[in-house]
Amino acid sequence: MEKIASRHFGQENSHRLENYLKDNGYEAARKAITQMTPAAVIDEVKKSNLRGLGGAGFPTGTKWSFIPQANPKPKYLVINGDEGEPGTFKDKYIFEQDPHALLEGIIITCYAIGSHKAYIYIRGEYVKSLQRVQAAVDEAYKGKYLGKGIMGTGFDIEVVVHPGAGAYICGEETALLESLEGKKGFPRLKPPFPAVVGLFGCPTVINNVETIACVPPIINKGAEWYAKLGSEKNGGNRLFCVSGHVVKPGVYELPNGTTLREIIYDHAGGIPNGRKLKAVIPGGISAPILTPDQIDVKMDFDSLKAIGSMAGSGGIIVMDDTTDMVWAAMIAARFFAHESCGQCSPCREGSGWVYRNVKRLYHGHAREHDLKNLPGIVNNIGGNTICAFGDAVSMSVGSYVTKFRSEFEAKVNKNYAESNH
Amino acid sequence: MPNLTIDGKQVEVPAGTTIIQAADKLGINIPRYCYHPALPVSGNCRICMVEVEKQPKLQIACYTPVADGMVVKTNSPKVLEVRKTVLEFLLVNHPVDCPVCDQAGECKLQDYYMEHGQYDSRLGDVKVKKEKKAFSIGPTVMLDQERCILCTRCVRFADTISKTSEFGVFSRGDHSQLDVYPGKQLDNNYSGNVVDICPVGALTDTDFRFKCRVWYLSKTKSVCPGCSMGCNITVEWDKMRPHQHKKARVMRLKPRHNPEVNDYWICDKGRYNYRFIDENRIHHPQLKDTLISWDQAIDTIVSTIKDLQKSSRTNRIGVIASAQLTNEDLFVVRKFFKETLKGAQVDFRVPEKSGDKDDFLIKADKNPNTAGAVNILQADADVNQIVQKAKSGEIDVLYVFGHDLVKLFGKETVAQIEKKVKLFVYQGSNVNDTCSYAHLNLPSSVYAEKEGTFTNCQNKVQRIWPAFLPLAESKGDWEIISLLSAKLGVPLTYQHPEEIFKDIAASTAPFAEMTYEKISDKGMILK
Amino acid sequence: MFTAEYLQELDEITNKYEQKRAALLPLLHKVQEKEGLITPEAEKSLAEYLGIPVVHVHEVVSFYHLFHQKKIGKCHFSVCQTTACALRGSEEIIEYIEKKLNIKPGETTPDGKFSFGLVECLGACELAPMMQCNDEYKGFLDKKKIDELIEKNK
Repeated sequence: MEKIASRHFGQENSHRLENYLKDNGYEAARKAITQMTPAAVIDEVKKSNLRGLGGAGFPTGTKWSFIPQANPKPKYLVINGDEGEPGTFKDKYIFEQDPHALLEGIIITCYAIGSHKAYIYIRGEYVKSLQRVQAAVDEAYKGKYLGKGIMGTGFDIEVVVHPGAGAYICGEETALLESLEGKKGFPRLKPPFPAVVGLFGCPTVINNVETIACVPPIINKGAEWYAKLGSEKNGGNRLFCVSGHVVKPGVYELPNGTTLREIIYDHAGGIPNGRKLKAVIPGGISAPILTPDQIDVKMDFDSLKAIGSMAGSGGIIVMDDTTDMVWAAMIAARFFAHESCGQCSPCREGSGWVYRNVKRLYHGHAREHDLKNLPGIVNNIGGNTICAFGDAVSMSVGSYVTKFRSEFEAKVNKNYAESNH
Repeated sequence: MPNLTIDGKQVEVPAGTTIIQAADKLGINIPRYCYHPALPVSGNCRICMVEVEKQPKLQIACYTPVADGMVVKTNSPKVLEVRKTVLEFLLVNHPVDCPVCDQAGECKLQDYYMEHGQYDSRLGDVKVKKEKKAFSIGPTVMLDQERCILCTRCVRFADTISKTSEFGVFSRGDHSQLDVYPGKQLDNNYSGNVVDICPVGALTDTDFRFKCRVWYLSKTKSVCPGCSMGCNITVEWDKMRPHQHKKARVMRLKPRHNPEVNDYWICDKGRYNYRFIDENRIHHPQLKDTLISWDQAIDTIVSTIKDLQKSSRTNRIGVIASAQLTNEDLFVVRKFFKETLKGAQVDFRVPEKSGDKDDFLIKADKNPNTAGAVNILQADADVNQIVQKAKSGEIDVLYVFGHDLVKLFGKETVAQIEKKVKLFVYQGSNVNDTCSYAHLNLPSSVYAEKEGTFTNCQNKVQRIWPAFLPLAESKGDWEIISLLSAKLGVPLTYQHPEEIFKDIAASTAPFAEMTYEKISDKGMILK
Repeated sequence: MFTAEYLQELDEITNKYEQKRAALLPLLHKVQEKEGLITPEAEKSLAEYLGIPVVHVHEVVSFYHLFHQKKIGKCHFSVCQTTACALRGSEEIIEYIEKKLNIKPGETTPDGKFSFGLVECLGACELAPMMQCNDEYKGFLDKKKIDELIEKNK
């Protein structure tokens, strides 16, 4: 299988410009700017069926076409490198080992949407990534791949590397914009959408790191080639992240549409210590959990949606049969409670309430009515909030209760008196 | 203009109107916490969600603009269910402080729970504890962080209305805490307004704390007499339990919405200046140290005036009227002193130091009716001259309405006046230093006991209504003058201030064609 | 608080942004890098520098996990407690650190050398169980590795 996003991983000094140039580095950018119109670039990306690899799976070319070209305001490209979805760690590899691929993708994207300024938002904990990407940006400016009139063309582009500061919610695109503007990461009310009113009130495209890093190969080798890889409406490969109870946790580049079974057993080495699979999160913690009978699903956006889960960020977390599912639900609930921004009431109060409820269940401090009430409370958060975080709490935590009901029931303590705490 | 249907009722509104605004126009009250018509939209409480036909998800009414042909349901089963849901989430960590919370009776959590909630609690957990409870964040406001539902109205008020930015929401998730910047106080000229807009008891008024349960309060519309802005207010008073408040009647003032005058706001000075209504009042007519009857008081004045009339020396009557009086009071003052007693020297323009002002509601002119005094009194004398003449014995009757001459002209001058003037009358509501010099003190009523009109700095005539009867033996200013006039043999037939106003409208050009009905509770501008 | 030199460093950052306020997060990182924490004085100075109310600077400092308002240890362990790390033994690691350093999460040792906190997913699940030790990611933790890290940073 031909590697795309991970083609330079593991090579010595792959992050350096001199090595990137050895492999057609920046040729796609040159081709796009000198031989294609912006509209043609957008068209090509549309045809490739490249879909957002941060979690939402929105068709990338379509997103770019929402930018109103007639709008006189400057256009911005923002790279979402907040990578906070538990189970996900692929963008870190691109940052550290192939930052120039990202930069080249940025150039092409900016050209396509009429932008001359891109911000790369990198989560604050990724210190090495911030250093590597800044170094790459510096190299690119020096080599005239960024700046005024790049590569001898008339195209100007500026890139700024911007650090986050430890808030998962800043991965939500409008919360990211708020954070980039120097405020708390509070998601915005929508509409308007960022394509019309985004960064500093201007039309903005926000894309995931991996998504943009895939753009240069698409321009070099063509949309048809990319679309053929992967599934029908989900072109190309993606970087799957496997962790948890597997022999070989790590990043695995495989075509969209590879089965979950294949990823876990053929690539990540299967479950260690002779244990059996009990549950698996297919696309980051927000994705509803799957049971062993569901792992023949094709890992692409449409197939996972069809079975009631999501491809999300590609973060696969494997749980063996020693795992207490109530405990696992508690950890998920705790994550959401800690990361809720607190702006709107259902999520703010609900995420904390759900966590405390599941925690009590786990510790044997809950009675039958607590378990009876839990699904209702969990479901009330999603659908009523400003952003999809609320939906994630409902879907994610709710899935543990639905699929492992008996374990929750076993934790009910008929003799627990509430006056005990 | 888009035409839409809400709960089966049609309404046409300008483009850009939101559903909640259109519903308000129809009188359909969609519940709201974070939405406030004078503040930028926040959309965080989620309780205003409504059903919009053809939209799969419920939409928040405060943010969704109307569209032509839109069909909205504000009370479908889905909507009613979501309201319960949102209420439940808001109440999960809310302390059950009702028995000790001032907001009880006007609390939106209580109100909406009774109207839209009525569910049994499913909470089995300990509530989240927050740092500050019953904490003074400034001279006028107390904060209780646990009661706060984080609607951020106060934050938006401080950022956009008072523009002082004291408030913020710190931390995140359900540990978010509303607070002022550590070490900073809420101490601007408009701090009390945050208590009005806080839908729950998180921000409460220190002045009103534990004073009176709101269901004992009666409310009367009036206008603040503190400056020429004439902010519209409601006088809120309790007459049922005088034993609780040492006989004080007024418990608090609240701003009344008038989009053309003060919108929803009032300055702190105006808000907290109500104690004079009940405290330090003159209760009875008094001749020096002796309490007398009204008849005696009237007789004393009239006999002196009659003497002056007989000897054609009514020019030896000096009247220092006041821009604190209502239009009706002033009209009767003019009628009596200038028309009936020709030659009396009447003016109202005392040499007051100009007060503080800002570019919002506070005006330098600390009188509520200067425009009225100018138009109605048509003063042609000069207060300074009147005072000089009084000092030098050229005035026989000095009639002062409410001013503290000691503050304005000094003790010596007033002591001189006491000696030189034959009859020094002070007609006012509250005791001040002048009272001990005046020969005759007549108790008049305060604005909260009057019906009448004031004219503000925008030349807007605004009505005031009486909350209760004048305290003790005090009487309305125009009523006292009417008694004088009647005793003098020129009875004025006014039974009610509206009749006076009719005469004002008929005789004073700027007031032409105005009536109380037309003025209503929003006011009318002079011609 | 900001000398001419300091201001120059801040200006260098601020000049990259179309709106001054957008520089707040990198500015706070810079200040924390130099001072070790964000003090009220720093908040006020930054507020003045950016022309925004100080309360909104404080909101940002209190919202984001990486900004410290109290001094942390010279060596700070941020231990991940989310799903993948939990599945591979983070709870035992956390318990062990508590025992070895004799402090609870959120606390600093009396000599100021060590502090530790519990954090959510750091984006390094392939190294689980892992933590961030000051700026570096340390993975595949076990008791031995914890002992070594503590020894190294004593």
